[in-house]
Amino acid sequence: MNDPAPITLEVDDVTVSYPNGNVALQAASFRLAGGAICALVGVNGSGKSTLFKAIMGFVRPARGAVRIGGRPVAEALKRNLVAYVPQAEEVDWSFPVSVWDVVMMGRYGYMNFLRIPRAADRRIVEESLARVGMLEFRERQIGELSGGQKKRVFLARALAQRSRVILLDEPFTGVDVKTEAAIIELLRALRAEGHLMLVSTHNLGSVPEFCDQVVLVNRTVLAAGATDTVFTESNLARAFGGVLRHFRFDESTVQKHDGRAVTLLTDDERPLVFGKDGHLEYRERAGRERVIEQRAEREDDH
Amino acid sequence: MTELLLTPLQYEYMLKAIAVSGLIGGVCAFLSCFITLKGWSLMGDALSHSVVPGVALAYACGWPFAAGAFGTGLLAAVGMGFVKTKTRLREDAVIGVVFTAFFALGLLLISLNPSSVDLRTIVFGNILGISDPDIVQVAVISGVTLAVLGLKWRDLLLFCFDPNQARALGLNVTLLHFTLLTLLSATAVAALQTVGACLVVAMLVTPGATAYLLTDRFGRMIGLATAMGVGTSLVGAYASYYFDGSTGGCIVTLQSLLFVLALVFAPKHGIRAARHRRRAASAPQP
Repeated sequence: MNDPAPITLEVDDVTVSYPNGNVALQAASFRLAGGAICALVGVNGSGKSTLFKAIMGFVRPARGAVRIGGRPVAEALKRNLVAYVPQAEEVDWSFPVSVWDVVMMGRYGYMNFLRIPRAADRRIVEESLARVGMLEFRERQIGELSGGQKKRVFLARALAQRSRVILLDEPFTGVDVKTEAAIIELLRALRAEGHLMLVSTHNLGSVPEFCDQVVLVNRTVLAAGATDTVFTESNLARAFGGVLRHFRFDESTVQKHDGRAVTLLTDDERPLVFGKDGHLEYRERAGRERVIEQRAEREDDH
Repeated sequence: MTELLLTPLQYEYMLKAIAVSGLIGGVCAFLSCFITLKGWSLMGDALSHSVVPGVALAYACGWPFAAGAFGTGLLAAVGMGFVKTKTRLREDAVIGVVFTAFFALGLLLISLNPSSVDLRTIVFGNILGISDPDIVQVAVISGVTLAVLGLKWRDLLLFCFDPNQARALGLNVTLLHFTLLTLLSATAVAALQTVGACLVVAMLVTPGATAYLLTDRFGRMIGLATAMGVGTSLVGAYASYYFDGSTGGCIVTLQSLLFVLALVFAPKHGIRAARHRRRAASAPQP
């Protein structure tokens, strides 16, 4: 399983149009290599889900190609290179399947024609459930779980699939703060193991916290690369236009005005905060203890 | 008394009818678990009506009825898919337009050529008068359907539950879609003989729907549905001797009774259980 070569995801000049003539994505290109956590950010209808569909081979690009680990999508799927964690709304929660059944579905690609689980499959399912802390719920019907628990079950399924690329569609929607932290912790551990995760999210505030890469989309890829360089106020303004809730402290009564603004951007979830110099503000100081000092030094230089 | 109860079993045609009904009832019930979970009940109704012109044509030309029925059934399914992708109409409208067109064509064909087949046979079924070649056709359809379901039920379950995951695993979702559609057409054809075009959909939905109310596990749902399908079909066919009434009517009435019982008394999803939970929730805490 520990393939020495890092896994890659290449989206090369991909254009997707639907039968009604709508062009959902125009000449989109970016390249990622594992281990990484990459945020996929854009307004609703910007082509985020189309991009997911193209990566999973659900839609065939009119032009361009997606390659995963250097292979065409169909081949990559056959090799179990890609796992998908769906949005909660896409799942029929009243379906008569247990937590265990759902996670076992991640193993189908490794099973024979009859899909009869072997001891190894059962062991991996158990491990995966334990890793997300859901082993004790294995016999529950999936509808009897809380929002966060539901999310973790589908994460466990992706783990059981042992895929090196994991696509997560809005993993933090309807999830409590504690579960969000647990999911982020898990994603970080997976990154350390060399996995490549592409996370579609509206939760702009948490993007700098755990994503090292960002892809900004609006009918095409506007910008892609390291979070520090891509996730800037001006790029986000291009991606979202006037759609974001925008709170400017320089125009508010919150702070003493000194001409420089702290800007707060939110797309309905956790706010994204830019500091006075347009730099990203983080929620926790751990690992960034010197940020304030460094800024103070820089301010002194002025 | 015993003599009276055993009377129907003295006739060969009754024994045949009871056995064939039980077989079809079981196969339909097995499939009904997938149909109810996939949300294809209306599709089942549509296909069971769409096979009528095929049956009429097959009898008129002396072909096996299953071949003709199967042909127009699949043609209707493909037609629905075509209209769906080419228009902005909602799916229920598309299904409604296409299957009534096929059913009307079937009625027209039968009325133009009344000697070859009786309209009542097709619309209401005639299991008591089923011919030996027809029994063979029904048995073959049932055997193939059971084999496919028995071997591939896990893939079909995943297809019903989460087609995206099926695709992500590299499974051929289009193939699974058409497999389920083909099985649906095939069992609709087989059930036509027993209960007739009008009631086929009941055989293909009610047992699965009843079992769905009774359990949260797919394996148990299949077991319960199949047991109910076989049981109601055997008893229904047997009982129809005394009523001298419609076999299909007997079977489906029994299935509906079971559904009503489950609706009220199901341990977790029944009306009574829900009321108990509400009471427990609103009771003053000690």
